[in-house]
Parts: sequence; structure tokens; C-alpha cells
Amino acid sequence: MAWQKQILRVNLTTGSCDIEPLNMEWAEAYLGSRGLGTKYLYEEMDPAADALSAENKIIFATGPLTGTMASTGGRYTVVTKGALTGAIACSNSGGKFGGELKMAGYDLLIIEGVSEKPVYLHIEDDKVELCDASEIWGQTVWATEDLLAAKYRDPLMRFAGIGQAGETLCRYACVVNDKHRAAGRSGVGAVMGSKNLKTIAVRGTKGVRAKDPKAFYKIVNEVNARMTDREEMSRDGTLAMIDVTNGFGSLPTNNNRSVRFEGANKLNPEAMHTPNENGHTNIVTNGACFGCTIGCGRICKIDPTHFSVKDRPEYHGASGGLEYETAYALGSACGVDDIDAATFAGFICNEYGMDPISLGGTIAAAMELYDIGAIDDSVTGGIKVEFGSAEALCQIAELTGKGEGFGADIAMGSKRLCEKYGHPDLSMTVKGQEFAAYDGRSMQGMGLAYATSNRGACHLRADPYGHDFETTDIAGKAQVVAESQRDVAFLDSSGLCLFPGGCGWGLEDYRTLVDAACESDWNAERMTETGERIWVLEKLYNLKAGLGKKDDSLPKRILEEPADVGTGKGLVCRLDEMLPEYYQLNGWDAEGVPTAETLERLNLN
Amino acid sequence: MDVSVTLFGGLRHFLPAGSSFNKCSIKIDDGSRLEALLRLLPIPPEKKFIVIINDQKVSREDYAEITINGDDEVVLLPPIKGG
Repeated sequence: MAWQKQILRVNLTTGSCDIEPLNMEWAEAYLGSRGLGTKYLYEEMDPAADALSAENKIIFATGPLTGTMASTGGRYTVVTKGALTGAIACSNSGGKFGGELKMAGYDLLIIEGVSEKPVYLHIEDDKVELCDASEIWGQTVWATEDLLAAKYRDPLMRFAGIGQAGETLCRYACVVNDKHRAAGRSGVGAVMGSKNLKTIAVRGTKGVRAKDPKAFYKIVNEVNARMTDREEMSRDGTLAMIDVTNGFGSLPTNNNRSVRFEGANKLNPEAMHTPNENGHTNIVTNGACFGCTIGCGRICKIDPTHFSVKDRPEYHGASGGLEYETAYALGSACGVDDIDAATFAGFICNEYGMDPISLGGTIAAAMELYDIGAIDDSVTGGIKVEFGSAEALCQIAELTGKGEGFGADIAMGSKRLCEKYGHPDLSMTVKGQEFAAYDGRSMQGMGLAYATSNRGACHLRADPYGHDFETTDIAGKAQVVAESQRDVAFLDSSGLCLFPGGCGWGLEDYRTLVDAACESDWNAERMTETGERIWVLEKLYNLKAGLGKKDDSLPKRILEEPADVGTGKGLVCRLDEMLPEYYQLNGWDAEGVPTAETLERLNLN
Repeated sequence: MDVSVTLFGGLRHFLPAGSSFNKCSIKIDDGSRLEALLRLLPIPPEKKFIVIINDQKVSREDYAEITINGDDEVVLLPPIKGG
């Protein structure tokens, strides 16, 4: 068990809602969540179709451990063709929505077609209906959830949906669940918006059963006892990383012009925990997703006297605060050291449904375009889009969420923005997706991981951290990246979070949980093979979508402009030396195409 | 001489009493090696960390060889990941 062994298929064109058996042969080969969702998408749609067309499908996929008592077992993945990238999108989220969908009885929810009018999907176990969304279309994520929560009056109902950014097809609109958790990357919210689907309301009462509940309970407790290093993550969240990368010299700053931000100490855990001159403390408490025993989430308040929220009491409450990636994207990437401004821009991302990494990365690119004179006030609507301007950051975030004014340009993402204004090299993206918070010059393995990530630049497709902080020498990087991409693909497909891996768990702990919960034998060899099969299937999807070796690359700045300070000072990313070895280790040819032998070995032919 | 040492992330909880948020000044004898400096910090042996001196990463095998100067900026980073 652990799988519910059924999927829910909703066709928005016809209005049909059908429950179907899960293809167990595929579940055994792709496990669940990211892997299984990718298999269904690969088999059911033409990867060459436009991401915003009716041909695209959007799949909400839980893993076998989603909804179980395994720690962090609340994850789900939104799989679709990305509106930002044109590549496979598999955007993972926590919160409580995934567990609720699983307990309603579904491993996967497959949405297809386009609704003629805005609708939302209401699921209560086997009762499934598409409902008129005219009253919530045009509303924010937060208002939508409040309105539907008031209508259904069930405190355990969970919601995942889009704000105005998704409705207006912002290229990096995300799907937000539980108000401040998000399937954030690659524009999955824009796909949802293109289908006129506003939100999904779900309530499940069926529970999730492991194959041997008593044995599973025992394993869960044994594995939890090995999560020995979580206190730091609970207290400081991922934000602790900002001091590490800033000290190391790998914190992207001012659109990657630098790798160190002098204002980092105004965005770090100390700044978050220390009262400001008004006696206001940014952090209120930490937060945890379904079944999580870490609690890395930041629940924060903006100083009510701050310019961004002055006389706007609707923003004076506590909500999802800065984590490392948002502190980078809405902070150092834009040269902004104002923790309240960055927190506000983060609130806006959750409220309107935007990926803060891509928003911040795009604003940073706009700031550089403004700095070199490629755009001016006539383009920005009079906003002084200067590096370090907290005011510009906050103004542009709101405009982008609404799709208004200069925000309509920013909603294109940095690749399209920089192309429009004649400087494509200033877009810090891979496959059109903005960088995460690590610079690929001082962290060479991360550079390779960004370039080869199937969903575009991403810090969560591989695990080169330990090797990168140990050495800038490229020897061994290709192997670390290739092997960890397989491992991460498996972990993402389990329904668990990656962060226990930073709190004491090893791969074996994840595998043990999967093996205890699911039918058949999930040994270490099968875990590795399954992870590789998922990774290669994503690659095959991208090849069919028209992506190739030219897309496994990095911006000119990372390849040609040396890092200015830190341990990587003077270095550029040596991608051209690492990439051939990476392809070879994967069993791919010189163009990055999996060989017939590799496909045969993975049963992918 | 006094040497500035910065401990990032959770390592800051092993700073000597009276330190600022993540920084302290450690008094050592002239000509002391990095290994001797690290012994003065109450960091449990099971805690892993990376040492950076003046923006240059130091290999573990060099801890006993490197001489600390008064104007050195010594930084200790925990090997965390994700974010």
C-alpha cells in the first residue's frame, strides 16, 4: 500500500471528473510524486505543445509517503510543461494540501483541457465537482482561501491555487497552498491560469495505509531518532545559509555582478531575531508543514511603521517570512538590505502567487538594465529601478502581481525582459529560469548543476554543497552532480522533504521508509536506478520539447567574468570541462542525448 | 596578539562568553598555528566546519602548519546545504 492506487482525472473542457485506477506498473518504476507525475505527463501530452495551450496538462502528484506519519511526509509536486522555461516543470511544495489530497484517496490529480469560464475544483473524498469561480476570479490567493473557507466552514479543508499573477499569465506565477507554501518554480501557476482553474479545495478522510502499519510505525520512530541535527534549522531556518555563502563568497549580489553582499548582516538570522530601533522583531515563530519534525518555516511580521505597510493594516499580521532563497532574490540579488522591504515583497509573492526567486532575479536584471541605460523612466513608469532601492523592489513586486505598468515587463521573466531590451547576456538564467542563491563560479558543482538541471536553474536538483564548500577544484564535480541528481529525483518522488538530509538523515533513511511503506522490495540498487530513470525521463521530455545541449549552459557572466571576491576570486565556471564528463557518466552521447544502451538499461526504450 | 574569529550558522553558539552575535576576538601567542587557535574555541569534536582565512579556504591537513597573524580574518562555516 502507501499508494492509494487511484487517480482523479478532471477534464476542464468537458467538465468530466473521473476516478481511475493508478497504473501500478508505472508506480513501481517511478515511485510517485515527481517521478510518477512526469511519467504520466510524458505519456499523455506532446512535449512540443505550447505550455499555455489546451494540450498541456497539469498534474498534482503525491508520493507514497505523502500523508503518512513519516516525518516531512506532506510533499506534493506539480508537474506540467513550464510556462517560464518550455521544459519539464516539477515544482514541489509542502504545507498541508498534499497530505489532504492523498487522504481524499488520490495519488495523482490530472487536470486537462481548458474551461470556458473560470472554475474551481472542490474535492471531498469521492465527491468531486467543478464550481463557478466568478466570485473569486480576480481575487488574491489569500482572499480566495478566506472566501472559500467561509463558504465550506471546514477548518481542515486545504487549498492550492493561483492569484492574479496566474490569471494574467505571469511567466513565473506559482501555485500557492495554505497561503504561504508554494509550488513555486517554472510558472506552473501560469499553466493553471491558462486553464481558467482558480483553485483546488480538498478535504480527505480516508487516511493512508502502509503495507505493514506496525512495522512502518517502528521504522518511523527509528528513523526519527536519527534526525539529530535539526535545532539549527528550526531556529534559523534556511536563512542560516546567508552567512555561510556570504562568508564563502558565493552569495549572488546585484544580478551576479558580485558574490558578496555587504548588507547580508541586515538580512541574516541575527537581523531577523533582533528588535529594530522601533522595538519590532521580524520573526514571530517558526512553522512546520504536515508531519514535519523540523519546522524550518519562518513566520514573520513587517514593522507596521515601515514605508511598505504604513497605513495598510492588512499587511500587519504574521505570514510566511524570508527564507534563504527569498532573502537572496528579494535582497542581495537586488542589492536591497531592508529586511522589512524584502519580507513585504515576499508577502506579495504569496498573496498574488509569484515565484520570489524569479521575481527577484528579474527585478535584479531590470536594475542592471536601468543602471547601464538600456531602460529609463519612460519604460519603468517613473520608478527609479536602482540597485539597492527597497522602494523600487516593493513597488515593482505589487505591479507585477497585478500585471500592471512596468510589472507587465517584469512578469515576462528576466530572459524575455533582457532580450526585449537588447541585452540577453544580462539574464542570469538557465533554460529561462532565474538562478537560485548560489554563484556557479565559487561553487563550480552548483554551476554544473544549474546548467544541467532539467527544469532550468535550480539549487534543488542536485547536492553539490559539501563538495563545493570543500574545494573549487573541478575534479570529481561531475560525478557528485550526476549521482546526486539521481538521489534527489528519488527523494522528491517519495513524498518527503529534502531537508531531513541536512538534519541527520542519509539516503538509507529515506529508502528504509519507502521500503517499509510500499509493496515489493525497495533496495538501494533499485533506489538509484529509479532515481536515474526519472532523471533520464525528464531529459527525454526536454529533448522532445526541443531543448538540447545548447540549453545545458550558463550566462556569459558566469563563464567569462571572474568572481570578484571570496574563495572563488578570479574564477569563472569551468562548465566546458565538466560537461563532457557529466554526459559520459550519465551514459549520454556528446550532445547530451541518452544512448540506446542507457535507455535499454533503464527500461526506457 | 588578538585575532578576529567569526563563526557562522550554528557554530556561533560555541563562541566564548561575552562575544558579539557571531564574532569574537581570541588572544593567542605570536607565531601560533591555526590548530592552536581552533583548540581555544569550545566547539565539540563532532561538529564539522570549514575554515577560511582572508578569503582563502584552508585544508584540514594544513591546520598544524598555518601561522596566524594578528590581522588575519578567520571564518568558520558549518557545512549546511539547501535553502
